[in-house]
Amino acid sequence: MALINVATREIHCNIVYYGTGFCGKTTNLQYIHRHARPEARGKLLSIATESERTLFFDFLPLDLGAVHGFRVRFHLYTVPGQVLYERTRVAVLTGADGVVLVMDSGADKLEENFQSLIELETNMRKLGKDLGNFPFVMQWNKRDLPDAVPVATLDRYLNRRRVEAFDAVATTGEGVFATLRAICKSVMARL
Amino acid sequence: MEQLSNLVVSEGELGNIARVLGRLTLDTAASHVLLLDKSGQLIAAQGQMGQRDLIALGALLAGAFSSSRHVAEILGETDFRHILQQGLHESISTSLIGEQWLLVVVFDKQTHIGLVKVLARKAADELERVLERVRAGGGRAKEQVINVQFRNSVENTIDLLFQD
Repeated sequence: MALINVATREIHCNIVYYGTGFCGKTTNLQYIHRHARPEARGKLLSIATESERTLFFDFLPLDLGAVHGFRVRFHLYTVPGQVLYERTRVAVLTGADGVVLVMDSGADKLEENFQSLIELETNMRKLGKDLGNFPFVMQWNKRDLPDAVPVATLDRYLNRRRVEAFDAVATTGEGVFATLRAICKSVMARL
Repeated sequence: MEQLSNLVVSEGELGNIARVLGRLTLDTAASHVLLLDKSGQLIAAQGQMGQRDLIALGALLAGAFSSSRHVAEILGETDFRHILQQGLHESISTSLIGEQWLLVVVFDKQTHIGLVKVLARKAADELERVLERVRAGGGRAKEQVINVQFRNSVENTIDLLFQD
């Protein structure tokens, strides 16, 4: 739920990075944290297990500064990707104003990606939200993999809604900010 | 289906919220009292803010509360309406207000937990009435802030700040 505080002149929106385990959600946030302007980025908070997998979520607040006298903030969250943590994913999705679905381009991940998309659609429906009418973009990550599935194929099977989709290599930052810009604008457009 | 839902807090209602939080802070000698929405957004805060990162605190507490609700479900409960995190020096009481908001009281060992629980419950009832009004009446206030020029300026700022 976006918060518009007229009294303190602040606007806060939540963006959730969703996707399967090891698809690169946390890597997106880490790159943004390292490369966003210092005045815009807050502290990156990660609740990880001992094996460094995301347990609950990663959290990165971004501050756009004052726009027309209002301080605009985007709070970025990731969800844990492993199948085991579906309830946690629903919990984090509850407050989402926009969703980025990060997809691993590896050939052996196509089915997992598809399941992740179905699960996201189902969870959004449970929360009373229709993904077809919600700020939502996709990211084809790991485009540098030798066995990366062609973008046209990913688009055909995973992007039936024809939402904006971005090629990315989150480890090097390719496509990371393009994805971020698109989802932030999409959220603002529907605020 | 419900899509993007916003909470638009006007100056008058924020004053009402601040009064309730201020009284609770005073009566419990709390170091902080926070009002959050369930997604962790900080709506209002009172107390000695100091150097604490309230934005991170809000996100983590909301996460912990959300997790506890799912634990409740597994036990066959609807939810846990109150959770307590007890530290050596400071403790945190988190109470659910209605279905959408959280009232957080951070207090030290000088304050009795029972007092916090009772007063937080009372404050939560008052805040629920205010927040329901806020939720019902936000449309007009939003239109005054979010217009085409504002959206364009935010888009330009996004392009400027989030560059490769």
